[in-house]
Amino acid sequence: MNASVAGKVYPEATFVVEPERVAAFRSVFDETHGVPSTFATAAEFAVMPMIAGDPELDLDFTRVLHGGQEYSFHRPLEASETLIVRSRIGSIRSVGGNAILTIVTELVDASGDVACTARSTLIERGER
Amino acid sequence: MPSVRDVAVRHDLPPLARVVTREDVKAYADVSGDVNPLHQDDDVARAAGFPGIVAHGMFTMGHLAACVSRWAGGPERISRLSAQFRAPVFMGEQIVAGGRVKAVDVERGVALLECWVSVERDGATGWPIKRGEAEVRLDP
Repeated sequence: MNASVAGKVYPEATFVVEPERVAAFRSVFDETHGVPSTFATAAEFAVMPMIAGDPELDLDFTRVLHGGQEYSFHRPLEASETLIVRSRIGSIRSVGGNAILTIVTELVDASGDVACTARSTLIERGER
Repeated sequence: MPSVRDVAVRHDLPPLARVVTREDVKAYADVSGDVNPLHQDDDVARAAGFPGIVAHGMFTMGHLAACVSRWAGGPERISRLSAQFRAPVFMGEQIVAGGRVKAVDVERGVALLECWVSVERDGATGWPIKRGEAEVRLDP
């Protein structure tokens, strides 16, 4: 992994909070109504392939584990709305032979307001 | 659903248990778009040093979110949620999500929770999620 790309901003993607997909997601977790908090990660995945395949970042996805996840909701996500997904590399550090990468993703609504900020921590295990 | 005036520090959320199955994890992969073979292909999981496929960290966190949401009255009440994934979850294991109120801010109408997911394995308690945190908006 290339640590010099901290701060890199990726091209925006569009994500529709499809009601059928939300309902399927709810049923996995027996949630009764609304958009489950962790559904925001489905939106993160609109950009994730771009990051995983970024030659400049040079992430070896076969050695990547999901280390942690955070969400900050300024308001709940709404079924049927369209969000702009804006991701950047938050930080990259090296700990004990592993590289730890945070990806910060803002989900921006039609009025231009951030509905949710998600932070994913990925751990690229060192080659042994 | 709880009122912010009725919730006390150290109040425990009702724990939420489920046995994790291959079907659950496949359903999560399909709906989330996270099709990493570590969660679907035993050979890939074994090559990575596991006895078989492991649940997505996000599957475990989704279960934790459901536990918090159930207590709070819905996902729209969760304003913050964070977790670190510390241990794998294997198929057939029972995971138990739980939480406890750490602080209550009556002015803002929010409760801060510590939350976790545990698993019993080989006679010991493992922590797929330990020291997770949530902020929940409650009724006045």
